[in-house]
Amino acid sequence: MKRKSLLRFIVVSTLVVLMSWGKTLLSQERFRRMPPKPEPFAKLELPKVDSATLSNGLEVSVISRTELPLINLRLIIFAGEGSSPDKLPGLATYLSYLFSRGALNLSSSEIEEQIEYIGGTFSNLVYPDYTVFSFTFLEEYLDEALELLSRLILQPTFARIERDNVKRALVYSLRNMRETDPDFIAKRHLFRLLFKDHPYRKSTFNEDIINDIRKRDLLAFYNKFYCPNNAHIVLTGNLNLSTASRKVSRYLNTWKKKELKRSFIPPPNPASKQKICLVDLPRAKDATIYLGNIVLPITSMEVFPFTVFNQVLGGIYNGRLFMNLRESKGYAYNVYSDVEYFKTCSVFYIMAKVRPEVTYASIKEIMKEIEGITSARIPIKIIEQAKSYLIGKFPLQLESDNFSSRVSEITAFNLGEEHWLKYHESIQLINSKRVFEIAQKYSLLPPVVVIVGDKNILLDLPIEFEELEVYNSKGELQYKIKKGE
Amino acid sequence: MDNREISTNRISFLTLLLILLIVYAHSQIQEGKKLPFSLSQFKLENGLHVILSEDYSLPLVSVVLAYNVGSINEPPGKAGLAYLLEGLMMYHGSRNVDRMQHIGLIHRIGGEVNAGTGADKAIFLQKVPSNWLASVLWLESDRMYSLDINPANVERAKEDVIGIIRNRKQTNYYLESFHAFDELLFPGYAYGHPVLGNETDLKSITVEDVKNFYSTYYTPNNAILSIAGNIDPTKAEKLVRKYFETIPKGKEVPAPPEPEPYERKPVVKVIEDSLASLPGFLLGYRIASPYSDDFYALKLIEYILSKGNSSRLFKRLIKKELIVSDIRGQIETKGTLAAFKIYSRSSNDILREKSQKAVLSEINKLKSTLISDKELRKSKNMLKKDYISRYATSMNRARFLAEKYLARKTLDDLPGELERYLRVSSSEIAGIMNRYFTEDKVLLVVKIK
Repeated sequence: MKRKSLLRFIVVSTLVVLMSWGKTLLSQERFRRMPPKPEPFAKLELPKVDSATLSNGLEVSVISRTELPLINLRLIIFAGEGSSPDKLPGLATYLSYLFSRGALNLSSSEIEEQIEYIGGTFSNLVYPDYTVFSFTFLEEYLDEALELLSRLILQPTFARIERDNVKRALVYSLRNMRETDPDFIAKRHLFRLLFKDHPYRKSTFNEDIINDIRKRDLLAFYNKFYCPNNAHIVLTGNLNLSTASRKVSRYLNTWKKKELKRSFIPPPNPASKQKICLVDLPRAKDATIYLGNIVLPITSMEVFPFTVFNQVLGGIYNGRLFMNLRESKGYAYNVYSDVEYFKTCSVFYIMAKVRPEVTYASIKEIMKEIEGITSARIPIKIIEQAKSYLIGKFPLQLESDNFSSRVSEITAFNLGEEHWLKYHESIQLINSKRVFEIAQKYSLLPPVVVIVGDKNILLDLPIEFEELEVYNSKGELQYKIKKGE
Repeated sequence: MDNREISTNRISFLTLLLILLIVYAHSQIQEGKKLPFSLSQFKLENGLHVILSEDYSLPLVSVVLAYNVGSINEPPGKAGLAYLLEGLMMYHGSRNVDRMQHIGLIHRIGGEVNAGTGADKAIFLQKVPSNWLASVLWLESDRMYSLDINPANVERAKEDVIGIIRNRKQTNYYLESFHAFDELLFPGYAYGHPVLGNETDLKSITVEDVKNFYSTYYTPNNAILSIAGNIDPTKAEKLVRKYFETIPKGKEVPAPPEPEPYERKPVVKVIEDSLASLPGFLLGYRIASPYSDDFYALKLIEYILSKGNSSRLFKRLIKKELIVSDIRGQIETKGTLAAFKIYSRSSNDILREKSQKAVLSEINKLKSTLISDKELRKSKNMLKKDYISRYATSMNRARFLAEKYLARKTLDDLPGELERYLRVSSSEIAGIMNRYFTEDKVLLVVKIK
């Protein structure tokens, strides 16, 4: 009797549950309940990079890709903002904009027209160590593209009207960023403090300086650094090395080799004392925090464990900082860590965009996370997750133009194949112990901290640091506040 | 006896092989012979159209799911419904997928995820390492099958959209003018209202509205699944069948609303935009449907007039006469409708008037004088490069194929499409200019308050 009623109870309650869950539950296949397991990683087969050196010292590399009828040409000049004269930071950038703005008997409009005629786009990027021009066009116009490039290289004019145009545009955009873009302001300020007297500091130039640059300064820089033995051309497309070097040579063999010693830039010392700075950005709604220090150069083999470390700490959406400051505390809209690599050193930094009232609390939490990750080993599962993210992400970063961009980075920094053909292995080999060693070696404490936000809100909060330096939006030190003041 | 049987079998086998070869050859001619990439297609019983394109250059795969729905399908008084559904699909989970799990999973494996909703399509995109294909199909099928539509989720999604609308009003100072312009250019609610909707309508949207809209339009028979990248087509098809085949077919999808007729006469209006910082104007021409033969020349006209720094409008107004601070011209399509829109801003009202005149004179010039071969070649080359870029990456290609199929319900004409643009002659350009760039234009003058 008892058993019967129990049975009835089970039947009835099961029915009730099933009815309330609805009919569809019954019809759902089992495989829908859980995400499927991934298959093993597909093999990454990267195309070889073939290289040759022309008689004038110009290096030419070719990555043969047959899928698309487009060619990407990258001209790398091994001189960037770090090589600008000490008194004229910004010169390398200014020059890079002028490069495609005129040649002998060729106005900037005519150049634009020629580029667009071959279905092309042209862009420039200046880093502290090098400069890259990227030129993409329809493959049937390789000759036209090289001819245009040779005229830009061999017959620059730096005409007054173009100098003024570029100057105006550059000053306007820098001023605009300085007045409105908290990320630009914060990162620039952080880099200025970290690089103090180091040549890399020149990358953080103020817009006013552009007005001091004259034609003869441009020519001096151009004559010194824009020479074939200080340059490298990388071509990606449906072509082979012998065709490519023959064609490049036809248009650029009159580019004269010059005596040039590539000077070695020694790395700066990391900051040794914690410094907290507030840069005023009136009416900013959020507080933007950039916190960082100087770490290893890109050429170091420690880059690989460091990359895993960075992913665990500050990976977007999954890193410890994100899980704590955004998901758990609700302080930050966004928070991540990143590394900006240079030849002789790099900057490791953490970025957080937070509600102003929790600015100082956020900094404390960031410090806590750094302390945590440098004092205890990271569980193997987490390390493996970070590695599989990096290995999965790598091919995604190589699609289309990014492919040649990666190759020019490897070329510019003279990196080995562990950054290219063997990248997967380089990451796969990293274990928890290695990450732990790296975390301790490059432990961020004591970092330089830059906060960008509205001074009126941020200074109203109780200051919990020994000292706070207050800067105006131009980056000029106004005054210092001691704890309790 | 036995021998005969065998020989019959062999004959039938050979016949079969022959037939297969002929079919294969035929399909090669039909689709893909001139295409620079591989392409195969099939349809599931429930109506889901599937497109596969293999590309082994890198170990990654892109999956795009495109639904044939957008703001033009929204019932009156419910503007913003399609965009609201995008939010629900992206963040709020489905029966077996938790809130944020979709995005979380894709990011954890180093992938990219995105979505976009327009007037006539809703597209969901992801790019992942190719060994994760099954997971993406699991995620996509779950939100097609069983989106979690409950009062709390709908409320949160509504708040998000309202937040975006408010934010856009603060950052896009000309929003008021753009909306007013669209209402003039595309008369009637269905085609004239913004994709984001408006606060009043959004607040009035009920859970029932969302459920109805979802069950009507976000169904396999109203969708295209496009997969491009490092895939084994047989395996990929098996996976697609596993996750999508048992999703029930939706109801008959209602035809999109007919566009409202408009009067064939010029429309001129002046608006005082409360947020605009500079005066400007918006000029619009209603042009041929994107599915018509005239559209090839119209697309080239877009390049001639307004694409790139050496385009006619840019060269004259920005470089030569310096009378505008910026100028843009582009074709916008909404279902079967299309318009050519030109927008510019000047530092004062005198220059604004001058720039209007300059734009009209450039349009008249293109109507009355044949374009040179060189300039036409330049425009075609720019178009060609953009066209190639649309299938240059796996994500672009998956999207390109999905959108093409969505618009035309076939990919049969794809192999010759680029050629058709490149065949347009200078006299066709002039003819098309005269046909569509007529006096029945819409002009909205923007003045500052």
